[in-house]
Amino acid sequence: MDFHKNILDINSEKECERICEFIKEQVFTHFRREGAVVGISGGIDSALTSALSVRALGKDKVLGVFLPEKESNPISLTYGELLAKKLGIRTEKVDLTQALESLGCYKKRDEVIKKISPAYDSSYKIKIGLPQDLLERDRINYFSLKMINPKGEEKSFRLSKEGLLGIVAATDMKQRSRMIQLYYYAEKYNYMVIGTTNLSEYAQGFYVKFGDGGVDLEPIAHLYKTQVYQLAKFLDIPEEIIKRVPSPDTFSAVVSDQEFFFCMPYDLLDLLLYAQENKIPLSKVSQVLNLSEEQITRAYRDFDQKRKASIHLNQNAPNLL
Amino acid sequence: MAIEERLRTFIQNNFLLGDKNRAIKEDESFLQSGIIDSTGVLELVNFIEETYKIKVEDEELIPENLDSIKNLIAYIQRKSAKTA
Repeated sequence: MDFHKNILDINSEKECERICEFIKEQVFTHFRREGAVVGISGGIDSALTSALSVRALGKDKVLGVFLPEKESNPISLTYGELLAKKLGIRTEKVDLTQALESLGCYKKRDEVIKKISPAYDSSYKIKIGLPQDLLERDRINYFSLKMINPKGEEKSFRLSKEGLLGIVAATDMKQRSRMIQLYYYAEKYNYMVIGTTNLSEYAQGFYVKFGDGGVDLEPIAHLYKTQVYQLAKFLDIPEEIIKRVPSPDTFSAVVSDQEFFFCMPYDLLDLLLYAQENKIPLSKVSQVLNLSEEQITRAYRDFDQKRKASIHLNQNAPNLL
Repeated sequence: MAIEERLRTFIQNNFLLGDKNRAIKEDESFLQSGIIDSTGVLELVNFIEETYKIKVEDEELIPENLDSIKNLIAYIQRKSAKTA
Protein backbone atom coordinates (compact mmCIF):
# COMPACT_ATOMS: atom_id res chain seq x y z
CA MET A 1 0.00 0.00 0.00
CA ASP A 2 1.13 3.50 -0.85
CA PHE A 3 2.36 5.78 1.93
CA HIS A 4 3.64 9.35 1.70
CA LYS A 5 3.31 12.61 3.62
CA ASN A 6 0.27 13.73 1.61
CA ILE A 7 -1.57 10.42 1.91
CA LEU A 8 -4.31 12.05 3.98
CA ASP A 9 -5.11 14.74 1.41
CA ILE A 10 -8.75 14.53 0.39
CA ASN A 11 -11.00 16.06 -2.20
CA SER A 12 -12.57 18.64 0.10
CA GLU A 13 -15.57 19.42 -2.07
CA LYS A 14 -16.55 15.78 -2.54
CA GLU A 15 -15.98 14.96 1.11
CA CYS A 16 -18.12 17.90 2.23
CA GLU A 17 -20.91 16.72 -0.06
CA ARG A 18 -20.65 13.19 1.29
CA ILE A 19 -20.83 14.35 4.91
CA CYS A 20 -23.68 16.76 4.20
CA GLU A 21 -25.68 13.98 2.57
CA PHE A 22 -25.08 11.86 5.65
CA ILE A 23 -26.23 14.59 8.05
CA LYS A 24 -29.27 15.40 5.95
CA GLU A 25 -30.31 11.77 5.56
CA GLN A 26 -29.81 11.02 9.25
CA VAL A 27 -31.58 14.08 10.61
CA PHE A 28 -34.46 14.52 8.17
CA THR A 29 -35.06 10.97 6.89
CA HIS A 30 -33.70 8.39 9.31
CA PHE A 31 -34.56 10.10 12.60
CA ARG A 32 -37.24 12.44 11.18
CA ARG A 33 -36.09 15.43 13.20
CA GLU A 34 -36.32 19.08 12.28
CA GLY A 35 -32.75 20.23 12.73
CA ALA A 36 -29.48 19.96 14.63
CA VAL A 37 -27.85 21.24 17.81
CA VAL A 38 -24.08 21.70 17.94
CA GLY A 39 -22.10 22.63 21.04
CA ILE A 40 -19.75 25.37 19.85
CA SER A 41 -16.43 25.43 21.70
CA GLY A 42 -14.52 27.98 19.67
CA GLY A 43 -12.33 25.16 18.34
CA ILE A 44 -11.94 23.80 14.85
CA ASP A 45 -13.91 20.55 15.23
CA SER A 46 -17.13 22.18 16.37
CA ALA A 47 -16.61 24.97 13.82
CA LEU A 48 -16.36 22.45 10.98
CA THR A 49 -19.31 20.42 12.28
CA SER A 50 -21.45 23.55 12.52
CA ALA A 51 -20.51 24.67 9.02
CA LEU A 52 -21.25 21.21 7.60
CA SER A 53 -24.58 21.11 9.43
CA VAL A 54 -25.55 24.50 8.01
CA ARG A 55 -24.59 23.36 4.53
CA ALA A 56 -26.58 20.15 4.96
CA LEU A 57 -29.70 21.42 6.70
CA GLY A 58 -29.80 25.18 6.19
CA LYS A 59 -28.86 27.87 8.70
CA ASP A 60 -32.41 28.08 10.10
CA LYS A 61 -32.22 24.42 11.11
CA VAL A 62 -29.03 24.63 13.15
CA LEU A 63 -28.76 25.84 16.73
CA GLY A 64 -25.32 26.63 18.16
CA VAL A 65 -24.94 26.38 21.93
CA PHE A 66 -22.13 28.04 23.89
CA LEU A 67 -21.40 26.31 27.19
CA PRO A 68 -18.82 28.32 29.12
CA GLU A 69 -17.99 27.94 32.80
CA LYS A 70 -15.79 29.96 35.12
CA GLU A 71 -12.58 28.16 34.08
CA SER A 72 -13.15 28.27 30.31
CA ASN A 73 -10.67 30.17 28.22
CA PRO A 74 -12.55 33.43 27.38
CA ILE A 75 -11.32 33.18 23.79
CA SER A 76 -13.54 30.09 23.37
CA LEU A 77 -16.69 32.18 23.58
CA THR A 78 -15.24 34.99 21.47
CA TYR A 79 -14.35 32.58 18.66
CA GLY A 80 -17.62 30.70 19.05
CA GLU A 81 -19.59 33.92 18.59
CA LEU A 82 -17.45 34.86 15.62
CA LEU A 83 -18.26 31.54 13.96
CA ALA A 84 -21.99 31.70 14.71
CA LYS A 85 -22.15 35.20 13.26
CA LYS A 86 -20.39 34.10 10.11
CA LEU A 87 -22.70 31.11 9.70
CA GLY A 88 -25.79 33.18 10.55
CA ILE A 89 -27.19 30.61 12.98
CA ARG A 90 -29.32 31.03 16.11
CA THR A 91 -27.44 30.58 19.35
CA GLU A 92 -28.00 30.01 23.03
CA LYS A 93 -25.51 30.58 25.81
CA VAL A 94 -25.66 28.61 29.05
CA ASP A 95 -23.12 29.32 31.78
CA LEU A 96 -22.45 25.95 33.42
CA THR A 97 -20.65 27.33 36.49
CA GLN A 98 -23.60 27.12 38.86
CA ALA A 99 -24.55 23.62 37.72
CA LEU A 100 -20.98 22.44 38.13
CA GLU A 101 -20.80 23.97 41.60
CA SER A 102 -24.01 22.15 42.56
CA LEU A 103 -22.56 18.89 41.28
CA GLY A 104 -19.42 19.45 43.33
CA CYS A 105 -17.18 19.41 40.25
CA TYR A 106 -14.72 22.09 41.42
CA LYS A 107 -14.92 21.12 45.11
CA LYS A 108 -14.28 17.42 44.54
CA ARG A 109 -11.39 18.15 42.20
CA ASP A 110 -9.89 20.75 44.53
CA GLU A 111 -10.05 18.35 47.46
CA VAL A 112 -7.94 15.88 45.47
CA ILE A 113 -5.46 18.62 44.52
CA LYS A 114 -5.20 19.89 48.10
CA LYS A 115 -4.19 16.40 49.21
CA ILE A 116 -1.39 16.51 46.65
CA SER A 117 -0.35 20.07 47.48
CA PRO A 118 -1.86 21.70 50.59
CA ALA A 119 -0.70 25.10 49.29
CA TYR A 120 -3.27 24.92 46.46
CA ASP A 121 -6.13 27.42 46.44
CA SER A 122 -8.37 28.96 43.82
CA SER A 123 -5.74 31.59 42.91
CA TYR A 124 -3.71 28.82 41.22
CA LYS A 125 -4.30 27.72 37.66
CA ILE A 126 -4.02 24.00 37.00
CA LYS A 127 -3.70 21.49 34.20
CA ILE A 128 -2.69 17.86 33.79
CA GLY A 129 -0.66 16.25 31.03
CA LEU A 130 1.64 13.46 29.91
CA PRO A 131 5.42 13.70 29.42
CA GLN A 132 6.19 14.75 25.87
CA ASP A 133 9.13 12.43 25.19
CA LEU A 134 7.05 9.56 23.81
CA LEU A 135 9.22 9.10 20.72
CA GLU A 136 12.54 9.64 22.47
CA ARG A 137 12.52 6.84 25.01
CA ASP A 138 10.62 3.79 26.23
CA ARG A 139 8.40 4.93 29.04
CA ILE A 140 5.18 4.19 30.85
CA ASN A 141 2.55 6.90 30.66
CA TYR A 142 2.02 8.91 33.80
CA PHE A 143 0.13 12.13 34.26
CA SER A 144 1.50 15.14 36.08
CA LEU A 145 -0.46 17.93 37.69
CA LYS A 146 0.91 21.39 36.94
CA MET A 147 0.00 24.18 39.34
CA ILE A 148 0.73 27.76 38.37
CA ASN A 149 0.57 30.42 41.08
CA PRO A 150 -0.50 34.06 40.47
CA LYS A 151 3.18 35.01 39.95
CA GLY A 152 3.36 32.52 37.09
CA GLU A 153 5.60 30.08 38.98
CA GLU A 154 4.94 26.48 38.03
CA LYS A 155 5.09 23.34 40.18
CA SER A 156 4.64 19.83 38.88
CA PHE A 157 3.50 16.71 40.74
CA ARG A 158 3.35 13.18 39.40
CA LEU A 159 -0.16 11.89 39.94
CA SER A 160 -0.96 8.68 41.75
CA LYS A 161 -3.82 6.52 40.50
CA GLU A 162 -6.19 8.06 43.07
CA GLY A 163 -5.02 11.57 42.21
CA LEU A 164 -5.45 11.07 38.48
CA LEU A 165 -8.81 9.33 38.66
CA GLY A 166 -10.13 11.83 41.21
CA ILE A 167 -9.22 14.82 39.03
CA VAL A 168 -10.46 13.23 35.79
CA ALA A 169 -13.75 12.03 37.31
CA ALA A 170 -14.53 15.52 38.62
CA THR A 171 -13.39 17.29 35.45
CA ASP A 172 -15.44 15.01 33.19
CA MET A 173 -18.55 16.46 34.82
CA LYS A 174 -17.88 19.46 32.58
CA GLN A 175 -18.35 17.48 29.36
CA ARG A 176 -21.31 15.63 30.83
CA SER A 177 -22.99 18.88 31.87
CA ARG A 178 -22.52 20.17 28.33
CA MET A 179 -24.27 17.04 27.03
CA ILE A 180 -27.28 17.63 29.29
CA GLN A 181 -27.72 21.16 27.95
CA LEU A 182 -27.35 20.06 24.33
CA TYR A 183 -30.06 17.44 24.79
CA TYR A 184 -32.30 19.98 26.50
CA TYR A 185 -32.28 22.07 23.34
CA ALA A 186 -32.43 19.05 21.04
CA GLU A 187 -35.59 17.79 22.72
CA LYS A 188 -37.11 21.25 22.99
CA TYR A 189 -36.80 21.86 19.25
CA ASN A 190 -37.11 18.24 18.03
CA TYR A 191 -33.48 18.37 16.84
CA MET A 192 -30.58 15.89 16.88
CA VAL A 193 -27.31 16.47 18.74
CA ILE A 194 -24.40 16.46 16.32
CA GLY A 195 -21.04 15.31 17.69
CA THR A 196 -17.68 16.90 16.95
CA THR A 197 -15.22 14.06 17.65
CA ASN A 198 -12.66 13.43 14.90
CA LEU A 199 -10.90 10.16 14.05
CA SER A 200 -7.63 11.06 15.75
CA GLU A 201 -9.57 11.48 19.00
CA TYR A 202 -12.03 8.65 18.43
CA ALA A 203 -9.31 6.10 17.65
CA GLN A 204 -7.64 6.62 21.02
CA GLY A 205 -10.62 7.30 23.23
CA PHE A 206 -9.99 11.02 23.61
CA TYR A 207 -13.56 11.88 24.54
CA VAL A 208 -15.84 11.48 27.53
CA LYS A 209 -18.48 8.77 27.59
CA PHE A 210 -21.90 10.41 27.96
CA GLY A 211 -20.07 13.72 27.65
CA ASP A 212 -18.82 14.89 24.25
CA GLY A 213 -19.29 11.23 23.21
CA GLY A 214 -22.99 11.47 24.10
CA VAL A 215 -24.46 12.54 20.78
CA ASP A 216 -26.78 11.27 18.03
CA LEU A 217 -24.46 11.55 15.02
CA GLU A 218 -20.71 11.75 14.57
CA PRO A 219 -20.24 13.19 11.07
CA ILE A 220 -16.48 13.84 11.32
CA ALA A 221 -15.38 10.76 13.30
CA HIS A 222 -13.91 9.28 10.08
CA LEU A 223 -11.68 12.34 9.48
CA TYR A 224 -8.16 12.66 10.80
CA LYS A 225 -7.50 16.01 12.44
CA THR A 226 -5.37 17.08 9.47
CA GLN A 227 -8.38 16.39 7.23
CA VAL A 228 -10.54 18.46 9.58
CA TYR A 229 -8.15 21.34 8.84
CA GLN A 230 -8.46 20.74 5.10
CA LEU A 231 -12.25 20.89 5.18
CA ALA A 232 -12.23 23.86 7.55
CA LYS A 233 -10.15 25.82 5.06
CA PHE A 234 -12.42 24.75 2.20
CA LEU A 235 -15.49 25.94 4.13
CA ASP A 236 -13.82 29.23 4.98
CA ILE A 237 -13.83 28.81 8.75
CA PRO A 238 -12.39 31.97 10.38
CA GLU A 239 -8.61 31.99 10.35
CA GLU A 240 -8.43 32.61 14.12
CA ILE A 241 -10.19 29.32 14.78
CA ILE A 242 -8.04 27.39 12.32
CA LYS A 243 -4.88 28.77 13.90
CA ARG A 244 -5.99 28.17 17.50
CA VAL A 245 -4.02 25.43 19.29
CA PRO A 246 -6.49 22.56 19.93
CA SER A 247 -7.33 22.20 23.63
CA PRO A 248 -9.92 20.34 25.71
CA ASP A 249 -10.52 23.64 27.58
CA THR A 250 -11.48 21.90 30.80
CA PHE A 251 -8.65 23.12 33.04
CA SER A 252 -8.06 26.62 34.36
CA ALA A 253 -4.57 26.72 32.78
CA VAL A 254 -4.41 26.41 29.01
CA VAL A 255 -3.38 22.91 27.96
CA SER A 256 -3.07 21.69 24.37
CA ASP A 257 -4.37 18.31 23.17
CA GLN A 258 -0.75 17.35 22.50
CA GLU A 259 0.39 18.23 26.02
CA PHE A 260 -2.65 16.63 27.63
CA PHE A 261 -2.90 13.35 25.75
CA PHE A 262 -1.31 12.80 22.33
CA CYS A 263 2.34 13.71 23.04
CA MET A 264 3.04 14.62 19.42
CA PRO A 265 1.71 17.11 16.86
CA TYR A 266 -1.42 16.13 14.96
CA ASP A 267 0.24 15.97 11.52
CA LEU A 268 2.64 13.30 12.76
CA LEU A 269 0.03 11.56 14.90
CA ASP A 270 -2.35 11.21 11.97
CA LEU A 271 0.24 9.72 9.64
CA LEU A 272 1.31 7.23 12.30
CA LEU A 273 -2.30 6.28 13.06
CA TYR A 274 -2.90 5.78 9.34
CA ALA A 275 0.28 3.74 8.92
CA GLN A 276 -0.58 1.49 11.84
CA GLU A 277 -4.18 1.00 10.74
CA ASN A 278 -3.13 0.16 7.19
CA LYS A 279 -0.18 -2.01 8.21
CA ILE A 280 2.36 -0.01 6.23
CA PRO A 281 5.79 -1.68 6.53
CA LEU A 282 7.89 -0.09 9.28
CA SER A 283 10.76 0.53 6.88
CA LYS A 284 8.48 2.58 4.62
CA VAL A 285 7.01 4.58 7.53
CA SER A 286 10.51 5.19 8.83
CA GLN A 287 11.69 6.47 5.46
CA VAL A 288 8.71 8.80 4.91
CA LEU A 289 8.49 10.22 8.44
CA ASN A 290 12.19 10.28 9.13
CA LEU A 291 11.75 8.33 12.36
CA SER A 292 13.55 5.19 13.47
CA GLU A 293 11.61 1.92 13.52
CA GLU A 294 12.08 1.94 17.28
CA GLN A 295 10.35 5.32 17.56
CA ILE A 296 7.46 4.17 15.39
CA THR A 297 7.06 1.03 17.50
CA ARG A 298 6.95 3.18 20.65
CA ALA A 299 4.20 5.30 19.15
CA TYR A 300 2.20 2.20 18.10
CA ARG A 301 2.56 0.75 21.59
CA ASP A 302 1.20 3.98 23.04
CA PHE A 303 -1.77 3.95 20.63
CA ASP A 304 -2.53 0.32 21.53
CA GLN A 305 -2.47 1.05 25.24
CA LYS A 306 -4.75 4.07 24.88
CA ARG A 307 -7.15 2.01 22.77
CA LYS A 308 -7.20 -0.80 25.33
CA ALA A 309 -7.81 1.65 28.16
CA SER A 310 -10.80 3.15 26.37
CA ILE A 311 -12.61 0.10 24.98
CA HIS A 312 -15.64 0.76 27.18
CA LEU A 313 -16.10 4.22 25.65
CA ASN A 314 -17.24 2.78 22.34
CA GLN A 315 -19.84 0.64 23.95
CA ASN A 316 -22.89 2.81 24.32
CA ALA A 317 -25.57 0.18 24.78
CA PRO A 318 -25.17 -1.67 28.06
CA ASN A 319 -24.41 -5.39 27.92
CA LEU A 320 -27.55 -7.45 28.43
CA LEU A 321 -27.54 -10.84 30.12
CA MET B 1 7.77 -12.53 52.34
CA ALA B 2 9.99 -12.76 49.28
CA ILE B 3 9.74 -9.94 46.75
CA GLU B 4 8.32 -12.19 44.04
CA GLU B 5 5.62 -13.64 46.25
CA ARG B 6 4.60 -10.19 47.51
CA LEU B 7 4.39 -8.83 43.99
CA ARG B 8 2.40 -11.78 42.72
CA THR B 9 -0.04 -11.50 45.63
CA PHE B 10 -0.48 -7.76 45.05
CA ILE B 11 -1.05 -8.21 41.32
CA GLN B 12 -3.46 -11.10 41.83
CA ASN B 13 -5.46 -9.18 44.43
CA ASN B 14 -5.59 -5.90 42.56
CA PHE B 15 -5.53 -6.57 38.84
CA LEU B 16 -6.79 -10.10 38.34
CA LEU B 17 -10.00 -9.93 40.30
CA GLY B 18 -11.96 -11.69 37.58
CA ASP B 19 -9.32 -14.34 36.97
CA LYS B 20 -7.73 -15.38 40.25
CA ASN B 21 -6.17 -18.49 38.73
CA ARG B 22 -4.37 -16.63 35.95
CA ALA B 23 -0.70 -17.56 36.05
CA ILE B 24 1.73 -14.76 35.23
CA LYS B 25 4.97 -15.73 33.59
CA GLU B 26 8.06 -14.16 35.09
CA ASP B 27 8.91 -12.20 31.95
CA GLU B 28 5.36 -11.51 30.74
CA SER B 29 4.74 -7.85 29.88
CA PHE B 30 1.90 -6.51 32.05
CA LEU B 31 1.06 -3.80 29.56
CA GLN B 32 1.13 -5.92 26.40
CA SER B 33 -0.81 -8.79 27.93
CA GLY B 34 -3.35 -6.35 29.37
CA ILE B 35 -2.86 -7.52 32.97
CA ILE B 36 -2.14 -3.95 34.06
CA ASP B 37 -2.84 -0.70 32.24
CA SER B 38 -0.90 2.51 32.70
CA THR B 39 -3.22 3.60 35.53
CA GLY B 40 -2.59 0.25 37.19
CA VAL B 41 1.14 0.82 36.89
CA LEU B 42 0.72 3.94 39.02
CA GLU B 43 -0.93 1.78 41.67
CA LEU B 44 1.91 -0.69 41.44
CA VAL B 45 4.43 2.14 41.82
CA ASN B 46 2.63 3.32 44.93
CA PHE B 47 2.75 -0.21 46.31
CA ILE B 48 6.47 -0.71 45.78
CA GLU B 49 7.30 2.77 47.11
CA GLU B 50 5.40 2.08 50.31
CA THR B 51 6.40 -1.55 50.74
CA TYR B 52 10.09 -1.21 49.96
CA LYS B 53 10.56 2.41 51.09
CA ILE B 54 12.03 3.47 47.78
CA LYS B 55 11.33 6.49 45.62
CA VAL B 56 10.51 5.71 42.00
CA GLU B 57 11.75 8.69 39.98
CA ASP B 58 9.84 9.88 36.91
CA GLU B 59 12.62 8.79 34.57
CA GLU B 60 12.48 5.30 36.09
CA LEU B 61 8.90 4.79 34.92
CA ILE B 62 9.98 2.61 32.03
CA PRO B 63 9.02 -0.93 30.95
CA GLU B 64 12.57 -2.10 31.64
CA ASN B 65 12.00 -1.44 35.36
CA LEU B 66 8.31 -2.10 35.86
CA ASP B 67 6.72 -4.12 33.08
CA SER B 68 7.12 -7.73 34.29
CA ILE B 69 7.66 -9.64 37.50
CA LYS B 70 11.28 -10.23 36.53
CA ASN B 71 11.95 -6.56 35.77
CA LEU B 72 10.25 -5.44 38.96
CA ILE B 73 12.28 -7.77 41.14
CA ALA B 74 15.53 -6.61 39.55
CA TYR B 75 14.51 -2.97 39.88
CA ILE B 76 13.50 -3.30 43.55
CA GLN B 77 16.75 -5.11 44.34
CA ARG B 78 18.81 -2.44 42.58
CA LYS B 79 17.01 0.41 44.31
CA SER B 80 17.08 -1.27 47.72
CA ALA B 81 20.81 -1.86 47.39
CA LYS B 82 21.32 1.83 46.63
CA THR B 83 19.29 3.06 49.60
CA ALA B 84 20.73 0.48 52.02
